[in-house]
Amino acid sequence: MKRHRVSLIFVCVLLFFSSPVYSRANDFEKIRQESAKIKTLQADFVQKKFMKILSRPLVSEGRFYFSAPDAFRWEYFNPLKSIVINFQGKTRRYVYSDGKMEEDQTGGAQAMKIVLGEVAGWMHGRFDQNPSFKATINKKGKTRITLTPVEKKMNGMIEKIEITLSPKGQTVQSVKILEGTDNYTLITFNNVKINAVMDPSVFQDVR
Amino acid sequence: MTRVILLIPILFLLSCQTLPVIRLTEEKPFVCPSPFLKEKSRLVHAIENRVRGNVQSSVLGITVADPATRSFSCAIVTAEGMSLFEADFSPAAVKIHRALPPFESEDFAKNMMEDIKLIFLAPEGSLQSKGYLSDGSQACRYLQTSGDVIDVTEHPSDGIQIKRYSSTGVLKKHVTFDKSGKNIYQHIELQAYEFFDYSLLMNLIEAQPIKKQAQKKK
Repeated sequence: MKRHRVSLIFVCVLLFFSSPVYSRANDFEKIRQESAKIKTLQADFVQKKFMKILSRPLVSEGRFYFSAPDAFRWEYFNPLKSIVINFQGKTRRYVYSDGKMEEDQTGGAQAMKIVLGEVAGWMHGRFDQNPSFKATINKKGKTRITLTPVEKKMNGMIEKIEITLSPKGQTVQSVKILEGTDNYTLITFNNVKINAVMDPSVFQDVR
Repeated sequence: MTRVILLIPILFLLSCQTLPVIRLTEEKPFVCPSPFLKEKSRLVHAIENRVRGNVQSSVLGITVADPATRSFSCAIVTAEGMSLFEADFSPAAVKIHRALPPFESEDFAKNMMEDIKLIFLAPEGSLQSKGYLSDGSQACRYLQTSGDVIDVTEHPSDGIQIKRYSSTGVLKKHVTFDKSGKNIYQHIELQAYEFFDYSLLMNLIEAQPIKKQAQKKK
């Protein structure tokens, strides 16, 4: 009986190390070390929104800018022009109206601001440092990190977030935000430029 | 005190406005203007919401409406893909699947349902009068069971418009449609004169009829 128990523990330990799904701090640390080399990042993105009410996904396109430690700009070109900027700890959202960008007055869509803020953190390898999410890592094939909200305030907003890292560098290749059954958003990044010179005005100027 | 006494009848008079006069005529008969959906359709609009003229937010609105059953589903999504509101409406029930701030209030759902019905579905009420307004617009007036009145008008240069009045004749909502001759839902403006005035500017992104065959396949 005792021998069987020891065998069982051995098998479990073996499974733990061979299993692609685990959430060990050193994996995240490795990614963090890689990502620490990223000072600036800019990329185009294509966003596809899938919903039961839609027969085909709603496609949006835009550009993302990031500058360490936490400045970011999410700019959507179509179908709806909008910009979310985080600079010096302040997040602002702008919408296009009458030929110019106007600040969003609703103060709403907080969940969206949280997610966009998170993506900027992920670009810098900060996957497991937000207490609002439980992070697990899957290294089978492409590295995939799954974040599950643990805080009640996210209940009913986001079920989970799946982040796929690029095979070469440890930058984010795609983000899948699952909001519910048949309702998710897939953002795919391309034309990624790392540590290219970036005009700091992109985080202040919304024109 | 005298001012207050004077103000009361003024407010009373203002609240009891009269409906525009429809001149009944048999000289130039016409078919009632109908900007409403003829078949089940899916429409995606960029919607700009303004309160007292100031832009509040810009979102994507998805509507799937069936004029035959007078039922519809709708969703509000931010440009960033976050779904803020999802609901199904039918004459029998209202089912809200998702409602995040600032769209979580019951009043919001009720107003949204009313706005979608007003824009896309023909009035439920009976045709009360048909004729011409003083500006030459063809007009059809429908009396709703609530006592409200809906005027659907068409002017040679202003295009088709919908006006909803209270039973006392106060203008509550005003809808104008695209006049370019393309899709009538290409550009829609709704002005609401409520407790707080708001307007919706809707620009069409996608319109798609939902064929019966496609429905059966599903």
